Parts: sequence; structure tokens; C-alpha cells
Amino acid sequence: MQDNSICARCGAYSGDKAGHPIVGQIPLCTNCAPQVPNWPYPAWLKAALVALLLLLVVALVNGRKYFHAGRTMYVGERLVQEGHYAQALPYLQETLRIAPESDKAVLLAAKAALLSGDFEAADKAIQGHNAGHFDDANDRDFREMRAIWDRATGAMEKANQAGKLAQQDGHAAEAARLMHQAAAIYPESRDLAITAEAFDESTAFEARDYDGFLAIAEKRWKEYPGSETAGVVASALACKYAVTGNPAFKQQSEEMLEASRKAAGADPESQKSFQEYAERIRYRLDTRQIISKSEYDRRFRGGQDTSK
Amino acid sequence: MFFIPGPVIALLTFPGIIVHETAHLFFCKLFKIPVHNVCFFRFGNPAGFVIHEKTDNFTALFFISLGPFVGNTLLCVIFCTAAFLPVWELKVFDPLAYFFYWLGLSIGMHAFPSTGDLSNLWAMAPQRAKGGNLLAIVSLPLVAVLYVLNFARVVWADLGYGIAVGVLGPIALFRALARA
Repeated sequence: MQDNSICARCGAYSGDKAGHPIVGQIPLCTNCAPQVPNWPYPAWLKAALVALLLLLVVALVNGRKYFHAGRTMYVGERLVQEGHYAQALPYLQETLRIAPESDKAVLLAAKAALLSGDFEAADKAIQGHNAGHFDDANDRDFREMRAIWDRATGAMEKANQAGKLAQQDGHAAEAARLMHQAAAIYPESRDLAITAEAFDESTAFEARDYDGFLAIAEKRWKEYPGSETAGVVASALACKYAVTGNPAFKQQSEEMLEASRKAAGADPESQKSFQEYAERIRYRLDTRQIISKSEYDRRFRGGQDTSK
Repeated sequence: MFFIPGPVIALLTFPGIIVHETAHLFFCKLFKIPVHNVCFFRFGNPAGFVIHEKTDNFTALFFISLGPFVGNTLLCVIFCTAAFLPVWELKVFDPLAYFFYWLGLSIGMHAFPSTGDLSNLWAMAPQRAKGGNLLAIVSLPLVAVLYVLNFARVVWADLGYGIAVGVLGPIALFRALARA
């Protein structure tokens, strides 16, 4: 039999035989009875709930920049997986702006940059990550990126050797051979392929194959029209004029030189470069003498290399 | 396997216990079930509890018993999502993010209903399921799984659940957003 004189919650004695009123199925004193059917939330709990909601707002506001960085990283990752490396790179660079230490973002950015031929962007991404240090050298993504990086740096070393050789007279063919090797090792780099073709021009020039020189120069100009390529066509035409005396070549050379000047525009670097080779081409047209740049520098510029 | 005393775990993850008991209380009040006593946190076993009157209302019992499972899981996903990227993917040292991750995991760790909650539900579910009660039918496998997971707490199944929800949830969310 139930003793209704004792409160089921607090144990208070009712002091009479009638006992406490029954709430639900149990006796409760007058203090406890109102709480049981509608137990109140404590004030501290309400305050904690408000604090939790405020924290949630803070968490979401604080996380906004991370959501942006994360979204660009996942979009970049998807584009890399689909093989759209050049498209992926800006997204991943945006992630690195906020999170340069993220292994995943750095490896993806470096991979995207390397496979789209942008070696400098890959180098920047890697150096921005703890000066190129990664904790897990056995990570699959790291090893994949490292293999591409080693291939690209191998190509760049050959390209540098080729560049140094190209500065010296009589080594154009060897320089071109090395540059083609570099372009073959790292075919993703458009710059290496373009430079290799430019080195072919030097090879033809050095071999006095002016028809070959002109053919390559015209091909490059059609593919990559610009001040520099127009200037090389002007140079090749000047060579043809020097050896044939045909005034048509002279006229065409002058026209191409003018095209080169216009294409240089107002860019100071392009203007400086144009002034340097325009002077030599005009000398060739005026004297019909074909001399190399280093010889021209030696004779007329006090032996100083005026190129960049 | 390593052992950490219950009170230490309770202290380290106290927000989850408070949220768990608050969810019980919320559904008791929602279904107007008399509550006899509530403890939101203490150093003891259990670390928190809500003692309420027995009910024959299966819907009420279902939500009172499993409310914390849903509530804690949702809050775990939300807080961990807010902190997931800087902590796991971006490797940005943001103390606030680590705080939110602790909060999310603490809440997620206490999502499992107690065996007491599950026993009540398990006792009533078969009979109601025979009567065609949809919630009862749904609750049978769910309660069975949660029962097993509850026993697996000794091998840190609750922490495993918190981490799974707090890591896999945000990953799935962000990958879906990236495809959107």
C-alpha cells in the first residue's frame, strides 16, 4: 500500500493521515507538485542555450572565410581530378591565400600548376608551405607531386644550361638540342616549347641557313604574334637582304620592324628590348653585314650585353 | 585499448551531457509527461538523468528516448562543420575553431541513448509494431543497433560515433556543395 504522507520527490512529511495530493501516480508536497507536470528549465540552462546559439553564430561567422577557402579547394580538387589543371589553379591559389599551410591545398595547387606548365606558381605554392617541408613524405599525393616536380626541375636545369650556352657564340645548336630535351621532359610547359623553337632560329642563324631562319621565324610569328616574334622575322629578312641584295627583303624587313615597334606598345620592357634589336637590324640593313649580337655589342656597345 | 575514468570523460565532455538531458526534458515537456527529477550534470553514474512518469504513449516514449540521439547528432554536425575546415583540411591554427570542434565532439559523444531509455522503448515496441505503429517498426532495428553501440562504449564507440559524425558529416556536406 502506498504511503501518501511522504513526498515522492523531497521526502517531506505531510503531517496528517490524508497525505500529499497524488500527481500522476505519486504523492507530491505542495512545493514539488507544481514542478512535476511542467518542470521548468533552470535559468542557467536558458542562459547556456542563448550562449550556445551565440557561439553557433560566432562559429558560422568565424568559419565564413574557411567555408570560402574550403569550397574553392574542393572545386579545385574536382577540376584536377577531371584533368582541368589550368582552370583548377586559380581556385587552389585562392585557398592558399587563406590557408598556405594546408598540405592538401598546396599539393593540389602544385600539381595543377606543374601539369598546366606553370612552374613558378608551383614553386611559390610549395615554398609558401613551411619553406617546402612536408611532414609525411610517404603520402601518396606528396609522392605524385614530387615525381612531377622532379621531372619539371630536371627540365628547368637543362633549360638553364641551354640558356647559358645560347649566350655564347658558336653554341646555338647545342643550346637548341638541350632546350628541346627540356621541352620533351616537361611537355606541359608551353614556354619551354616556345623557347626551343626560338633556339632553332639561333641555330639556323649561326649555320648561315637564312632561309631556314626565316621559315622558323615566320612560323613562330604566325603562332605567337607579338613584338619579339615580329622583330625576329625582321632580323631574318634583313639577313636575306644582306646576302641577296634584293630590296624587297629590305622593305619587308622594315615593315616587320614597324610591326614590332607597334606591338611593343607602351610597355617599357618591350620598348627597351625593341630598341636593342632594332638598332642591330638597321645596322644589318644599312651595311649588309651579318654579325652576331655579341660581336655587335663588342664593336658598338663597348662589349656590354644590353639584353635583359 | 586505454581506460579513462568515467568522471574524467564526463568532465571533459560535459556540454554533451547537458544537451542530452535537455533533449530528454524538452520532449517530456512537449508531450506533457510529468517529470520527477532532473540532473543535467554530476560526477556519478549516470552523469545526468531525467526521471519522468511512465507513459503508454509510444510516440512520446520514442521521442523522449531517441530525442537526444537526433539532437546531439545534429548539433555535433553543425559545430564540427563550422570548425572542420580549419582543423582538418586547411591546417589553420584557429583556437576558436578547435574550441568548436571540442564542443561538437563532446555533444556528439553523448548522442547515444542510455540502456534504460532503450529498454523502455524495446519493451513496448514489438507489441506496437504488431499493431502497425510506424514509429515502432522503425524503432526496432534502430534500438537494436543503438543497444549494441551502447555496450560498445567500453571500446569508445561513443567517441567513434562523435568523430564519424563530426568528420564524415562535414566532408560529405562540403563535397556535395563543391559539386553544386
